[in-house]
Amino acid sequence: MKCYARALSPGLRMMAGMAIGAWFCAHAAAQTPLRVTYLPTLDAVPMFMAMEKGYFKEEGVVVQATPSQGGAAAIPGLMGGAYDITFSNVVSTLLAQQQGFKLRVIAAGTKNDPSAKPVTGLLTRKADGIKSGKDFEGKSIAVNTRNGVIWLFARSWVKKTGGDPSKVMFKEVPFPQMGDALRNKQVDGIFTISPFADSATKEGDVVRAADPYTEVQPTADIGHFVTTEDFFQKNQEATRKFGRALRKGVQYVNANFKAPETQLLISTVTKLTPEIVATLPQMVMPERVYPEEYAKTMALMVDAGLLRSGVDLSSMIDPAQTK
Amino acid sequence: MSAASTMSRPDSTTAPAAQRTKRARSDWTRTRATGFMLIASLLVLWEISARWGWIVSENWPPVTQIAKALIEALSSGELSIALLATLYRVMLGFAIGSVVAVALGILLGRNRLADRLIRPPIEVLRTMPGPAILPPLILLLGVEEALKVTVVSLASFFPVFVNAYAAVRGTDSTLLNTARTFRLGRSVTLRRMLLPAALPSIMAGMRISISIALTVAVIAEMVSGASGVGYFLMSMQYAMRADVMYAAVALLAVVGYALNRIFVAVEGRVLFWRSR
Repeated sequence: MKCYARALSPGLRMMAGMAIGAWFCAHAAAQTPLRVTYLPTLDAVPMFMAMEKGYFKEEGVVVQATPSQGGAAAIPGLMGGAYDITFSNVVSTLLAQQQGFKLRVIAAGTKNDPSAKPVTGLLTRKADGIKSGKDFEGKSIAVNTRNGVIWLFARSWVKKTGGDPSKVMFKEVPFPQMGDALRNKQVDGIFTISPFADSATKEGDVVRAADPYTEVQPTADIGHFVTTEDFFQKNQEATRKFGRALRKGVQYVNANFKAPETQLLISTVTKLTPEIVATLPQMVMPERVYPEEYAKTMALMVDAGLLRSGVDLSSMIDPAQTK
Repeated sequence: MSAASTMSRPDSTTAPAAQRTKRARSDWTRTRATGFMLIASLLVLWEISARWGWIVSENWPPVTQIAKALIEALSSGELSIALLATLYRVMLGFAIGSVVAVALGILLGRNRLADRLIRPPIEVLRTMPGPAILPPLILLLGVEEALKVTVVSLASFFPVFVNAYAAVRGTDSTLLNTARTFRLGRSVTLRRMLLPAALPSIMAGMRISISIALTVAVIAEMVSGASGVGYFLMSMQYAMRADVMYAAVALLAVVGYALNRIFVAVEGRVLFWRSR
């Protein structure tokens, strides 16, 4: 290589250098960079699959993915300009909208599937025999965050099954510690997610009492990717490219969830051991956003006092994502 | 050893065996080994409770499993890289916080106008817990280095400032009068009189700050960003790998202890005139 370079005259070398530089510049200009923050959970797997399969590249966007530990940093980080796109949930986005943070939903994320094996659940101690919201009156339920999506559905489930949510105490406990809190009788129920739900029920002393998502709003949209309205207006085409590529990633993961490459990717993204990944139930990710489901969740939020009134959904969801 | 002290202590060659044993035991209890013995006993109890099923939880792995996970995480480089990122933030934030604190401590301690102007906002800020102001700070500083170094600097600042300010204010007036009598300039008075007089207090404040800096850096990493031991232990917790998570916690404890010991050694060197 060195001798070839030496063999060229200085002028030719300069021209070759300029040509390579121009090619790189043109190539780089064609690829729009998007800074995306995600939760290192199963929900992020389609995005990584789209990266692995080159779907983003085909669309002309480069995703710079940064993990985050949740809402405390994600929305402020988005508003402050640290990220262009973040993974969020319907409840947090609607709340932010009410507080004046203009956000735009640019891709679907997760959705409850009533026909599949539940991946979330309200768990109780088997010995207590708690079955309904009425049974929970005067007792406590652990949720990951107050005023979050889990809290909303736990509360709505209590109401739907004959209980008074104001008589139930909702305690904030992080998902990994919920099983211990239930066993040690610090709470009487936990609303948890996969894989913590499967792990907690392994011993047999803890049982799945209910599936609040399915019982309250069976086909609820739960997670999604959002950006700021400002970014959306200035980079509409790039966000739509992101949405299209992500959709291909979703289709691939849905069709190949148990394939070794998907299982390996899940393990890499979530850091779960391959043994745990093998036990995870098949998840079906949504390909598009369903505004009617947002409207139903919004009604639950108004009922719970989380929202003062409805939010204009047509200006919150990119119409291209509803088809 | 002086002749007097030699005479006041019984000769070890002639002392009765029982007395020697008693003294040996009392010497042993004075060493740091006693503290380590307590830790070791607790770790053994932890191991037994996990192995014999006294505590049934995914979050309670045996200590030996944690030790294995620590070795693996360090040798794979995963935890070592995270630790380096955290230490970088701790050191940078601590250095910035301490330098600003010493400068402001001296300024406010010596200048009444600056004291009246700047101290009230400092006192108000001092009561704010660092982790609580993280989300609003994210809006301004993003989620990476700028945020974390700022939070660590703020947390390191207050103990050093309080000590530096109090030490400067409490400097012996005879010292300052002597400086004036000898017509020493401000700079010489600062370097030769004020700083040496305030240094023991400043160093004590810095020793408190270094531990706080480590804690705050880890908390900031747990809340935002994607690097450092804080992020590492949160992701391991959510990946249900409690052994690796505890390995990170154990490493933090060791690093915290090591930082403190290093600081004590540096303090001994810097404050060489103090009898130890």
